Amino acid sequence: MRTHKAFSVMTVSLVVATGILASTSLAAPKTMPDYSKLGIGIGKPGGSYTLVLGDSPQSFMYYGAIDSNAQSVTGQMFDGLIEYNLASYKIEPALAESWTASSDGKVWTFKLRQGVKWQDGVDFTADDVVFTFDQIIVNPEAKGGDNDAFNFNGVRAKFEALDKYTVKFTLPVPNGAFLQKMRTFILPKHKLEKFTESGGAKKADINNAWGTNSNLDDIVGTGPFKIKSYVPGQKVTLVKNKYYWKEDAKGTQLPYTDTLEYLIVKGPDAQAAQFLNGTLDSYNISGAQFPDFKTKEAAGAAFKVIRSNALFGSPPHLGFNWNAKNAVLARVFSDLRFRQAMQLAVNRSRIIDTVYNGLATLPGHGVAPISNYYFNTTKYLGEFDLKEAGAALDAMGLKDTDGDGVRNIGGAGNLEFTLNYGEDSSVYKPMSTILQNDFKAVGVKVNLKGIPSSTLLSTARGQDWEATLLAFGDQPDPDLRKPIWQPGGALYYFHQATQPATPGGKENFKAMTSWEKRVWTIFDKASQTTDQGIRKALYEEWQILFAKNLPVIMIAKGANAAVVSNKIGNFIWNLGVIPGYNPVPLVYNK
Amino acid sequence: MFNFILKRTLVIFPTLLAVSFIAFFVIQLQPGSFLDSYLEDPRFSQETVTRIQEQLGLDKPLIVQYGLWVWGIVTRGDFGQSFTANRPVAGLIGERMFWTVEIAALALIFSWLIAIPIGILTAVRRNGVVDGLASFLGYAGLAIPDFLLGLLLIALILSLNGKNVGGLFSNEYIDAPWSFSKLLDHLAHLWLPIIVIGVNHVASLQRQMRANMLDVLNQDYVRTARSKGLQERIVIYRHAVRNAINPLISIAGLSFAELTSGSLIAATVLGLPTIGPFLYDSIKAKDQYVVITLLLLSSLVLMIGNLLADVLLAIVDPRIRYE
Repeated sequence: MRTHKAFSVMTVSLVVATGILASTSLAAPKTMPDYSKLGIGIGKPGGSYTLVLGDSPQSFMYYGAIDSNAQSVTGQMFDGLIEYNLASYKIEPALAESWTASSDGKVWTFKLRQGVKWQDGVDFTADDVVFTFDQIIVNPEAKGGDNDAFNFNGVRAKFEALDKYTVKFTLPVPNGAFLQKMRTFILPKHKLEKFTESGGAKKADINNAWGTNSNLDDIVGTGPFKIKSYVPGQKVTLVKNKYYWKEDAKGTQLPYTDTLEYLIVKGPDAQAAQFLNGTLDSYNISGAQFPDFKTKEAAGAAFKVIRSNALFGSPPHLGFNWNAKNAVLARVFSDLRFRQAMQLAVNRSRIIDTVYNGLATLPGHGVAPISNYYFNTTKYLGEFDLKEAGAALDAMGLKDTDGDGVRNIGGAGNLEFTLNYGEDSSVYKPMSTILQNDFKAVGVKVNLKGIPSSTLLSTARGQDWEATLLAFGDQPDPDLRKPIWQPGGALYYFHQATQPATPGGKENFKAMTSWEKRVWTIFDKASQTTDQGIRKALYEEWQILFAKNLPVIMIAKGANAAVVSNKIGNFIWNLGVIPGYNPVPLVYNK
Repeated sequence: MFNFILKRTLVIFPTLLAVSFIAFFVIQLQPGSFLDSYLEDPRFSQETVTRIQEQLGLDKPLIVQYGLWVWGIVTRGDFGQSFTANRPVAGLIGERMFWTVEIAALALIFSWLIAIPIGILTAVRRNGVVDGLASFLGYAGLAIPDFLLGLLLIALILSLNGKNVGGLFSNEYIDAPWSFSKLLDHLAHLWLPIIVIGVNHVASLQRQMRANMLDVLNQDYVRTARSKGLQERIVIYRHAVRNAINPLISIAGLSFAELTSGSLIAATVLGLPTIGPFLYDSIKAKDQYVVITLLLLSSLVLMIGNLLADVLLAIVDPRIRYE
């Protein structure tokens, strides 16, 4: 098939490993790969770069809060062992210069980059890596920790330092996405040990480290910028890290700009004003703002509007509750023919045109179209066709027997359900009305119920709902989204009968349909295989099963747009919050 | 008088307790929990959900949560931790208090300085051109929502190639030490929120002042003063205005509460680091101790404002006695 073309991550890492081990070099800065394809060239040092935060960061402790503003800022202060290639999303060395995996895929050995310093001049070593994983990341009391990622069937991975620059991770079972997880940030032991168990503190104390009122001199990372000042509610200022370990093709140390500033501005209107007055150098805009900026650009304004398809971002979908309280509705929702009929009545092109102002594409199924794992499932999406949708519902025996314009379910009343949507979202709201209108045209009555977007998921994870609009973020590796798409997973909200009776128990296989059982096996296998060719084939099979069986109906994948001042060079669109994907060091002032 | 003040001060404490109690339980009526917004993040495991609930005390019965919070205030002066920021609530509010009070106080002063003279003028020149124009502008100011006025002014400034369209400083001055040029920059930003927030008050205050004046101008003592042959200026300012202004002092006491809450939407549109948006976000996130502490604060300020207004009334109007 197409698997032989897939560039195996394992192969890459082994090639890198042998290459570097042979040369036994000392302090080795990383030279940035050639990104000329993305329009990136040699920049010039100096100047500043001003970005926006939608709100004050809640903390400067990456693992102490789940907050996108905190993530944006800390993303510039810290690094992981690996990072993504900015063009291909393939894995590249970062704080680790090379790595090897044992043949059974359970033991991973990382050679760390030598000569890297924390921003206070202290050497970065294997102890920092082991400390970060052992004391912070797998600490279940750390609000932003990542305990589950290193916990396999109740057994935790083991983290050891072999020497000053070598770390060894031992897993109880092989894990296909293990390398992906290594982009998580490494923090300094000498500054943070006093907040952890090994330093004599309580487990929960890590959440109190590096709060927004702490002494900023104590916050040191290995990242391109060091935090310098924070004015609550107004601004975070970072300055260039003079020890940073990356350089451009000509050997100039990165980052190019001397300062990186985050202005705290809430809301799209205020942000637009701060961009138009020249304060912000770039910011990500929504589909609703796109036409206005495009007009200004065409009229000769000193900025460019950039549109790009990126991997991350959350494509919305329509989910039905197969275990709805109303047993009659539950039976209809769990019938594939019904979901297929409803998909025919989802007018994706109209949604892309009017809701997104054209700034969206057809969705993938659980995998973003730009990802290495993507399989093109477009043909399964079908065409918007109300007549065919009506015929399909007729064939199910769902006919309007009482002549009120709404179909009836057997003798049990109207085919009518409540659809939850995020009332505070500019996307969900118009989308829900489009769906309501088109469904009405095929005799399906939808009652809209707006609830705060932040409670959409928790509502859907409960029992008291019928249908919902919802969105989950795309990740580069499907294994990272296992709790969502593997039947019986904690976030497999639309078919809760498959979930374990008690949290942490076994999935309820009896409740699964045959294709769900297959999907379960696919995720289980792919998780424990390190052969990327096999994993890719498995995930392709899953995407086809997803597209055919419609656990949920995918609607659209929003594209990304940004406006960038003409004084800025080397801009690459990014979400700003993804560990391992940071193009900011390359940005320069023209 | 002293007894009156003492009594009123003592009433404040049980009132605050009642306010906090009601507020605490009203917050709980809001659907969802503080942890809801985190559930989607793959980093947030089920075990973490349980542990964080224990850390924050959310696993305890509501009445215990409330009791512990009150106990913390009484014994340690601790208003609780913010769930989102992992920090004591008091510090977070303190960071935003200065700008909130500054903007609200200046906006209040601005609205009084404009509204009172216009109110007097339109009453004296009743049904004239000035009256008509002022009424028109007053109604317009009342009808245009503050955020819309803010957006319109921002669009106007941008079209004139202006720079100061929100926030309290230009970017380069935000984290600079105080200096004369920083002060100038601050003033250049400050007028926008003051106008936007103040204009709404102007209209209502002006109408109120006008009505009071018309009322007073028809009183016997004003006619007496006029018939004594006093100058019109003295009749107006010494006899009429002094009496017409009393109801406005009560209003001023009420507007005190706005000093701490401020305008939410206008503050968002204008990018102001004030309490309003902070309260809104905290309510959305169900960051309960931040919310009740803020509500407590604004009730406290409201009660103090009322007390001050009553005292002030007694001072300016010898007819009022509280004994």
